[in-house]
Amino acid sequence: MMGKVARKTLLALPLLFTAVFLLLPLGLTVVISFWEKVGLRVVPAFTLRSYAEFFSGVRFAVHERSLLVAAEVTLAGLLFAYPIAYVLALRASRQTTRVVLLLFTIPFLVNHVIRTFSWSYLLSRSGPVNEAVVALGLADRPVDWLLYSDFAVFIGLLTSYMPFMVFPLWLALAGIDRRLVEASWLLGAPPLASFFRITLPLSLPGVFAAVIFGFVGSFGESAVPIILGGTGYQLMGNAITSTLDVINFPLAAAMSSVVVATMLLLLAIWYVAFDLRSFLGKILRWRL
Amino acid sequence: MRVCSMNRRQVLASGLLGGAGLVLDGRFRRTFGQAQTTVNFVDIGVGDPGDWSKYTAKSGASVNLISIGNAPSAILNVLIGGGGSATYDVINIVGGMQKPLVDNNLVDPIDVAKLPNWNKDSYIQEFLKPGSPGFNFIGYNDKVYGVPTVLQGDSFAYLPEATGNLDSYGALFDPKWKGYVALEDNYTTAGQKTALYLKKNNLASIANPDDMTPGEIKTVVDFLIDKKKEGQFRTLWSSFEQAVNLLVSKEVKVLDCWEPMVFAAETKGMKAVYARPKEGYLLWAMAAYVIKNPKRSEEKTKAASELLDFMLGPWYGAKITLLRGYMTNPEAAPYAKSHPEEFPAAQAEKIAAIDAGVKSKFELGGTWQNRWPTHVETYEEEWARFKAV
Repeated sequence: MMGKVARKTLLALPLLFTAVFLLLPLGLTVVISFWEKVGLRVVPAFTLRSYAEFFSGVRFAVHERSLLVAAEVTLAGLLFAYPIAYVLALRASRQTTRVVLLLFTIPFLVNHVIRTFSWSYLLSRSGPVNEAVVALGLADRPVDWLLYSDFAVFIGLLTSYMPFMVFPLWLALAGIDRRLVEASWLLGAPPLASFFRITLPLSLPGVFAAVIFGFVGSFGESAVPIILGGTGYQLMGNAITSTLDVINFPLAAAMSSVVVATMLLLLAIWYVAFDLRSFLGKILRWRL
Repeated sequence: MRVCSMNRRQVLASGLLGGAGLVLDGRFRRTFGQAQTTVNFVDIGVGDPGDWSKYTAKSGASVNLISIGNAPSAILNVLIGGGGSATYDVINIVGGMQKPLVDNNLVDPIDVAKLPNWNKDSYIQEFLKPGSPGFNFIGYNDKVYGVPTVLQGDSFAYLPEATGNLDSYGALFDPKWKGYVALEDNYTTAGQKTALYLKKNNLASIANPDDMTPGEIKTVVDFLIDKKKEGQFRTLWSSFEQAVNLLVSKEVKVLDCWEPMVFAAETKGMKAVYARPKEGYLLWAMAAYVIKNPKRSEEKTKAASELLDFMLGPWYGAKITLLRGYMTNPEAAPYAKSHPEEFPAAQAEKIAAIDAGVKSKFELGGTWQNRWPTHVETYEEEWARFKAV
């Protein structure tokens, strides 16, 4: 009896924390998005003016670009992260896996902004990448588009969020019952067919966890576009900050609400299409 | 023979009582350098001389320094939503924020009669008097709300070895430097300098670059968009380090920036020059405001007022000019020269040179930066259009 009470109390704490520090602010954001701005204050009302301003103005173009860039970065991240996670989970020794996974945590120990600034040095006209390009005769002068360009933002986002994608992928792949793959071989399926019919489908929960990590991070990123982007390159995080500069809380709230709604939609697709419990079950089994 | 009629306990008790008395009347704390009152002073990283002991010795109060960002939103958010009104006493920021601050009841008017150094500051009369554009940096509706702490004029920097001598904002838009120009990501600086350039060279009809109509802002942004499409700009910068790196790495040859960035680039071995444009400068001043707080004690209000006066004083002015490279008050340079024990000759000369340099910028004129123009939301929206193209 006491055990049940203790368990419920323990569960109530994170629930309470989530409600107070996540759901309540999110709810307030949605509510304020319908309010009216009078001077510097926001006045309770119900108006769709902020949404109309967002969808009809240049900021919606930023939203579209953010979606596209986040999708590109996530796809590229998957293409890099999946093979790495596959080798670590199914081919490498336990010791190697530990070392490589530890190496993937190192970027988290360096400040995100400092890491991004280091890219601006590496990719600059006088940086080592351009020096190598000229020295190798690939170009007769430094290449301009390496820095302050869409390419630079892409590299910055990819290197920022790809490490986040390796871990859920490795987790999903490591949790696959190898006897299923072996059974596939025994039944005569070639390695590629075994991968596409057994390994890939069973790792999809990890793929979609990685997609969420990569997509959400890239979509809301604000430091990388500022440091590496070209003239005025913006993603949604920058557009929302810019709106806050003139204390337009309802518009910033409307933009944030649309971003959150987009993310929730992605999460809902994930939840409906794939069994969330099976992925969590794997995590629990692995931990035990 | 007894030399004292009190025993040891009585001596100790008397000592304790005497000590308590000293503490109560404040002399003890002042004697030992401990302040009775603490003024919560919010600053953007410019107004800290590094040593407040002269102020403490004079007023008996101490200063608790709190850092804040300079973006109008950061300031207003802290004061309106962040409980800053109840916590902070004096806020030292780039001025011109009176409209949002006063309209939202966030700052108190300043009784300049209580500031002995006010009338000694001839720069106030010269550059910031009521009716002049500079007054908008410290006053609103004919009342003074801010004490000017530093004054400066901004233009742009260039690398003379690559560009030769440049003396017009036209360099920012000159196809000769295509791809080697960067602007600040700020419509009240880069936008206003562009407006000044267009107006002074009769390239657009702009009545007041410091407070443009929506149509005028659109004209400026259309011009910038054309230049952006031609590939004129390398990037927009938004932090001090970023701007300095652009110069030091020679990523750009012409940079819309602040003068201290040139000083920083020079310390890294770069030969950079801060231009003296024929169109004039983007002039601005920092102002210290007293945060409105009806619950503040009289003692603290007095200490805040004394802090404002201290900031108008010669020692503070000399120290800030030396540390930050901005002009402060006319007493600063003579004070530094006449106090070699505090400011060695080289420092005094540097202070005098900075003071003379900035003063000449104000004499040349230009346009006063407007931190909160009438159509500020249009500025932001148009700037977003420039960036999104």
